Amino acid sequence: MVNVNFEHVSKRYEDGFEAVKGLSLEVQDGEFLVLLGPSGCGKSTTLRMLAGLEEVTEGTISIDGVTVNHLPAGARGLGMVFQSYALYPHMTVRDNMTFGLRMAKGKDRLSEAEINTRVKETANMLELSEHLGKKPKELSGGQRQRVALGRALIRRPQVLLMDEPLSNLDAELRHQMRQEIRRLHDELGTTTIYVTHDQIEAMTLADRVAILDQGVLQQHAPPLEAYKQPANEFVQSFLCRHLDDLVDTANTLLRSDAQEEGD
Amino acid sequence: MISETTVRRWYVPVEVKTLRRWLLVSFIVNLVLLSIDMLRGGGMELKMGFLGLVLIGLLINTLPEESSPSSRNTSLVLGGGVLLIGLVRFMMTPMTAFDAWMQAWLIGPGALTILWVSSPPVTAWSTRTLSLKAVEYGLARNQRYGPRLRAFGAHLVLLHFVVLTLLPLLWILDIALSPGNALGGSLGGPYTGEHFSNMLGSDAFWTWMRNSLIVSIGTTLLGLVVAIPAGYAFSRYKFTGRDVSMFAFLLVQMFPGIIILVPYFLVMKSLGLLNSHLGLILAYCVTALPLCVWMLKGFFDTVPRELEEAALLDGCNQFQVFTKVVLPLSLPAVAVTALFSFLAAWNEFLLALTFNTSNDMYTLPVGLASMISSTGQAWGDFAAASLLVSLPVALLFLFFQKFLIEGLSAGGVKG
Repeated sequence: MVNVNFEHVSKRYEDGFEAVKGLSLEVQDGEFLVLLGPSGCGKSTTLRMLAGLEEVTEGTISIDGVTVNHLPAGARGLGMVFQSYALYPHMTVRDNMTFGLRMAKGKDRLSEAEINTRVKETANMLELSEHLGKKPKELSGGQRQRVALGRALIRRPQVLLMDEPLSNLDAELRHQMRQEIRRLHDELGTTTIYVTHDQIEAMTLADRVAILDQGVLQQHAPPLEAYKQPANEFVQSFLCRHLDDLVDTANTLLRSDAQEEGD
Repeated sequence: MISETTVRRWYVPVEVKTLRRWLLVSFIVNLVLLSIDMLRGGGMELKMGFLGLVLIGLLINTLPEESSPSSRNTSLVLGGGVLLIGLVRFMMTPMTAFDAWMQAWLIGPGALTILWVSSPPVTAWSTRTLSLKAVEYGLARNQRYGPRLRAFGAHLVLLHFVVLTLLPLLWILDIALSPGNALGGSLGGPYTGEHFSNMLGSDAFWTWMRNSLIVSIGTTLLGLVVAIPAGYAFSRYKFTGRDVSMFAFLLVQMFPGIIILVPYFLVMKSLGLLNSHLGLILAYCVTALPLCVWMLKGFFDTVPRELEEAALLDGCNQFQVFTKVVLPLSLPAVAVTALFSFLAAWNEFLLALTFNTSNDMYTLPVGLASMISSTGQAWGDFAAASLLVSLPVALLFLFFQKFLIEGLSAGGVKG
């Protein structure tokens, strides 16, 4: 059981800006949670506090029942995919993926043989086998994204964190990767927290979405429920109206197309 | 739709375009040359040179125009005038390399003008109205030859700068290879290696070399050990006094070296570090540090923070983040910084002259200077020694060239 618990978590910066205000949120084992909201709503900060990249001002974050507020990032058993991929430019794909494994100490340390099987496994899963010897700059955007994913997954993380991982890809690739991420999640069953501002991504990927605005949780529900029963005006406009607009646009296009054919 | 008139107006033969540009260049060059000539004095030929300048100026404004035979004729006459003046001046002046080169800047443009203005494409274009087919052909021709001519012109100008840069070096090489100790050298005369063997065989030279190497390498190492962590801290951490100390670093650089010379001397004296390697190393580090720290900070700023965060999540501690991720990425910048400290120490004269006064503690620059004294000027040995001293630096540059370019251009380009 790997569940993640935020209890009354707040983040205040030195200049007094409060990015997250009293957030309470529970992520269940194996769940795919999407943190959704406009930019500046605190979704990334929430993720970064869980990752250990930002300190928690108030409240507790626990993973698997253990409070992790004061654990260093590397000790939390997390894998993270960054928006800019953040691959180490001076290392090959293989070294990028195994870097974390090699940093492990004591009984967590894997044998060389074990590391190799993991690399093979992960590379197969992400179709990276033929690129293992290359440097990141020789790869396309989609391939880099997959390496970043591989680097996070190879450690078999308790929780997989993704911070707008698809926003640097073109529409076609984004669509492909979205399906791939969902497929991987269904295969591996890793508890996943995914940050995005894209409503479509949230609707198609999530088991549940947590919608944030100005540091406050607005609604925490399965996507369809949030769409059908928005908890307040913000969710109504940010999620429901946006999706309705998309559908309207599509319908208008189809209608005019039909008319032209009719003429 | 592009109208036919647009196409016609757009077409100017590449010869005319190029002439306009090159004549402007030769006008400027001639202006510079004439002012040099004025310093030398001279009557008739100076006036002729001035006339040539005026003619080139006129020529720029009366280059052939479309369907205007008279403009073509004017250009030919003016071009001929420039050529004539160049030739006459060439006959009048003595045959030195400088003079020949100077007249070439009149003869060349004049001859080229006549050649090109009378060439078939320009003649056709300036004497009658071309058919649209001919214009289209001309445009294609322009596109084919234009870039080549532009490149040729650019290289011709750059060649001048190359010569200007290499000339002093060649002069020194000439002095070093000529027998005797005159400052003039013996251009093309009998050459000898005696000055080189003199220097390489002298104990003093090797003592200076050893001192210089110890001091320079010491400065480089100590400088890096201090500058790398400092640059990283300035780049990544916010702490009280950060901005103030960054500025203080720069402030120190703003004083001319001579001002801090005396205080430095007193400090070194009270520390008992006069006539020692350590004293110089410390002093050089202090002078080189500000720039090194700023340079490294600038580079560290360009290493994305997300990379470090990824390393943190991969289980690195702060120190490992630095040694395993940031430092390997910053090698070009570190190399530049190292080279800079080395050079600063290798070339420094004033502090070395003041601090280390005993013969066996001289560094190379001080030692070299001591060869030219009121009692004897061994210019030949001096020149040979300067070349020998520059050699290690030149080798270092060759070796680090790739790093240097990367390091200096980093920050501008995101990798």
